[in-house]
Amino acid sequence: MDRKKLFIYFLSLMFVVLLIGLLNLNVLQGAKFRRLSKSNCIRLISQSGTRGNILDRNGEIIAGNRISYDVMILPQEPGQLDRAIAAVSRILGIGAGELKSAFKKNFISSSLPTTVANNIEPRKAIILEEYKVEEPSIIIQPKPLRYYPNGPSACHVIGYVNEIDRWRLTKLEDYGYKTKDIVGFGGVEEKYDYYLRQEEGGLSVEVNHRGKFTRVLGFQPPVNGRDVQLTLDLRIQKIAEDALSGRKGTVILMDPQNGEILALANYPDYNPSVFVNKRTALISGLFNNPNSPLINRAIQSSYPPASVFKVVLASAGLELKKINLSTNFVCPGWTMVGARKFSCWDTHGTQDITQAIAHSCDVFFYKTGLLLGGQNIHDYAIKLGLSRPSGFDLPYETSGFIPSPLWRKLNKFQKWYDGDTANLSIGQGDCLTTPLQLTCMMAVFANRGYLPVPYIIKAVGGVDLETKKRRLLPVNFKKGTIEAVREGLREVVSDAKGTGNILSALPVEVAGKTGTAQVSRGLTHAWFVGFFPYDKPKYVICVLLENGGPGHAAGVIAKRVIEGMNSQGII
Amino acid sequence: MRNSFVRILIIALAIALIGVLSIYSSTYQKEGTLWQDIYKRQILWLAIGLVCFFLISGFNYRKLWDASYFIYGLALFFLFMVFSLGIIRLGAQRWLKLAWFNFQPSEFAKLAVIIFLARYFSRKSESDISLLSGKFGIFRGIALPFVFVAVPMFLVIEQPDLGSGLMLLLAFISLLYLTDVRLKYIVSLLALLLAPLPFLWNFLRPYQKDRLLVFLNPNIDPLGAGYTVIQSRIAIGSGGLLGKGWLSGTQSQLYFLPESHTDFIFATFSEQWGFLGSSLLIFLYYLLIREGFIIAKRTQDSFGKLLAYGISILLALQVFINIAMNMGLAPVVGLPLPLMSYGGSSILATFIALGILVNIDRTRAVF
Repeated sequence: MDRKKLFIYFLSLMFVVLLIGLLNLNVLQGAKFRRLSKSNCIRLISQSGTRGNILDRNGEIIAGNRISYDVMILPQEPGQLDRAIAAVSRILGIGAGELKSAFKKNFISSSLPTTVANNIEPRKAIILEEYKVEEPSIIIQPKPLRYYPNGPSACHVIGYVNEIDRWRLTKLEDYGYKTKDIVGFGGVEEKYDYYLRQEEGGLSVEVNHRGKFTRVLGFQPPVNGRDVQLTLDLRIQKIAEDALSGRKGTVILMDPQNGEILALANYPDYNPSVFVNKRTALISGLFNNPNSPLINRAIQSSYPPASVFKVVLASAGLELKKINLSTNFVCPGWTMVGARKFSCWDTHGTQDITQAIAHSCDVFFYKTGLLLGGQNIHDYAIKLGLSRPSGFDLPYETSGFIPSPLWRKLNKFQKWYDGDTANLSIGQGDCLTTPLQLTCMMAVFANRGYLPVPYIIKAVGGVDLETKKRRLLPVNFKKGTIEAVREGLREVVSDAKGTGNILSALPVEVAGKTGTAQVSRGLTHAWFVGFFPYDKPKYVICVLLENGGPGHAAGVIAKRVIEGMNSQGII
Repeated sequence: MRNSFVRILIIALAIALIGVLSIYSSTYQKEGTLWQDIYKRQILWLAIGLVCFFLISGFNYRKLWDASYFIYGLALFFLFMVFSLGIIRLGAQRWLKLAWFNFQPSEFAKLAVIIFLARYFSRKSESDISLLSGKFGIFRGIALPFVFVAVPMFLVIEQPDLGSGLMLLLAFISLLYLTDVRLKYIVSLLALLLAPLPFLWNFLRPYQKDRLLVFLNPNIDPLGAGYTVIQSRIAIGSGGLLGKGWLSGTQSQLYFLPESHTDFIFATFSEQWGFLGSSLLIFLYYLLIREGFIIAKRTQDSFGKLLAYGISILLALQVFINIAMNMGLAPVVGLPLPLMSYGGSSILATFIALGILVNIDRTRAVF
C-alpha cells in the first residue's frame, strides 16, 4: 500500500536524522563539547613554592622570603558572604565596599576561595584565624612574598620582582611562563629568574555539579626556587653605600685575582619592596625620577674615562716602544696640535712616564698619543677590555665606545685628525666607558697582566660556579710595562703632588688613577680607579661620581671606603 | 514464525542489558544503597518483563479483540485514579503507589489506546468483508475515535505528562493515516488541532512553556530550564568517536546531567561509548522497529496488522523523540527511552507490546 511505504520511508528518515545529529554532536562538535565537559568538572587549586633566596658570599640574605597572609572567602550559603565581609572589614579596617569589589574582581568559581585582601599583618591574621570558628567561610592563606632584610642595599645587583610584562611574556612563553607570573626585573632576579623561580604545584580535583569535591585527580608538589649565592660581601657593600652617601654615582670593589665583584653600590637607589607591596605611587615615582634610580650605573651607563684612560696610553706607548722609561716631555701648560692649542690642566715642567701618570699631565699624553696614532690607542683600549661588554653576569650591560680612525672612516666617512688623537689621549671626545670596564682594566695592573671577566654569581642551588666563572685573560704586556704603570699609579697616591695624594694617609698602600671628565653640561664627572694593597692587591676599587666635581672628590669617597674596610678589619 | 520471536528477543534483551549497564554507571557513585541498587531493581523488572514477553507471546492476540473495550476501560480507570488522587493530594503525580512499586498507568494506557484503535478501525462491513474504515464519514472516521483518544490524552497531559499525551496523539494520527480513512479528513483534523495551538499555549504550565522556549534556544536560561539540554548535549558531544569508556563519563557520573538513568539515559550511554556505541544502539532500535513493520506487513488479519503497525509506531516514536530530545533536536518532554530507561512500567509495557507483536506473527498462519 502506498501510504504504508511512505510511512516506512518517513520512519527510516527519522533514524537518519538521529544519526546525523549524533555525527554532528560527537564528531563535528566533539572537541568543543569535550572541552566543556572538562571545564565542568575539573578545578585546579594551585600551591606556590617559594622563590629562591639571593645570598651574599657569607650566606647572608639579601633577598629572601617572608610569609604573608591573604584573606580569602569561600561562601557556601547565601548571606554568608556579606557576614564574612563585614567581619573582615571590621578587623582589618578596610571598607566593606573595597573588599566586595576585590571579591568581584578575583572571583573565579564558587568552589574556589576568593582573595579579598592581600598581605595583611600577622597579628590581624591571627585574629581572623580565631574568628573562623564563627565564620568558617573565612580562609587565611599563607603565601611567600619577596622580602629584603637590608632594604635598598644592593638593589641594583638583585633587581626587583613584579608581574610579568607583555614583552617578557612573549619572549618567555615557550619556557612555561604565564600571565600574572611574578618574574625578576633587572639584575640577578632577571638573569637568574629561571633558577630562582619556583615551580607552581597544586591539586587538580574533580568536582560534581554542586562544585563539591569528589576526588583528587593528581597532585604535583610545588618546587621551591634555587638559591643564588653572590660573590658580594654585604659588609663591604654597606661600607661602599655609606661612603657614597647620597651622591649620585657608583662604587665597585672587585677581587683582581679572579674577577669577583665584592661590592657594587649605586646611588640613587630604590627599595625593591615597593614592588612587592604594589605601592603604585612610589613605583611610578621611580620610573619618572629624572635621576633614574632604577639604572645600575656601574654597567648600564657609560662615561668619558678622562685621565683614567691615560693608563691605556702609557701601556700602549711602552709596549709599542714609542716611549720608554727615560722619555721626557716638557709641559709648559699647553701644546700645539696642528694649528690648535691644547692646554694642560697645570704646568708640570719636565715629566717622565711615572711623573706624568702621577700628575696626570695632559701634555705628556698628547705627545704620546700623537706618537701612537689613534688606531693604536683604540687597539690597546680594546686589549684592556674597553669598548666591549665585559661578560658580566648581570643583564643590560652597555659596551661603551672608543672611537678610532677606521671606525670613523667606515661609519661617518670623515677623516681622523690629530686633534681627535689628542682628545682621545686624555679620554675625552667620543670616548665612553662603564665603571665596570675601568675596574677590570685596573685589575690588569693589580694582578700584573690578566684581564679578569667580572662575575657576581658564586653558586646556584648549592652548586659552586666559581671554577666556571673564573676567567683571567692574559693581555701579554711586557713585565716592564706593567711595573712602570704600576709605579706611576702608586705615585699618584704617594707623590706629594699626586692627584690622589689624599689617599696616602691610609694605613694601607693604595695605587690608582683619578679622572675628571668634562661633560657638555653641569659639573665634571669624578673618577678614582685604583687597587690596594699595592704589593699584593686584594681589591680593585672604582669610584665614579656623576657630576661630582674634580677627580679629587672621587678620591675622598675611595678613602672613606678603604678607611671603613680597614676599621672593620676586612683588608 | 519462531524466527521473529528469537530475533526480537535477542535485540530487545541486548538493548535492555545495555540499559542496565548504563543505569549502573550513572548511579553506582551516588550515596545511599537505594540509589546504588537501582540497577538490581531494573534487572528484576527485566526478568518480570521477559516472563510477560513469553506469556503474552503464547497468548492468542485475537482475544484482545474481545477484551479491547475492557482494556480501554481499565486504562481509563487507572488514569482517572491518578487524576483524582492528584486532586485529593493537591499535587500532580504520574503514578499509583502499589504495594512495593510505583505503577505508572500512562505507559499502559498508550498500549490500551493502540489496541482499542486497532479494533475500531479493523471492523469489517457485514455485507462484504471489506474494511469499514474506508467508508467512514467524518464523524465515525475522525471525530468519534478522536474523542476516545482525547479522554485518556487529557488525563495523561493533566498528570502532567506532556510527552505521553503527545505520543497518544501522534500514534492516533499515524494509525489514521495507515487505515483507509480519507486523507482530507486527516488533514482537516490536523488543521483543527494546529489552529488553536496559540490559544493552547496559555493552558500550558509555566515549566512546559519554558521547556518549549528553551528548545528553541537553550541558552535563554542555562542554569534553569535549559540546563538539562545543555548538559545532555555536552555529555553526548564529549563522548567523541569512541567515548570516555564505561564508568568514566564525567557528565553523568558527577551528576551534571539530571535524570541520567531515566529520560537522559541515551546521553549517559553516549558519553561512555561515543559515536560508535551510540550509532550501534540506534541501529539495534532500527532493527527492532523494522522487525515490527515486517511483521505488520506480512500479517493478513487486519486487526493484527493494525495492531502490529500501532505497536511499531509507538516504539519508533518514543525512541525517536527521546533520542532527539537528548540531542536537543526535540523539546524536553518527559518520555522514557523504551527498554533502556529505568522504570518498571515502561519495561513491562514495552515487553508486553513486543510479546503481542511476536504473537501476531506466530498466529498469522492460523488465519
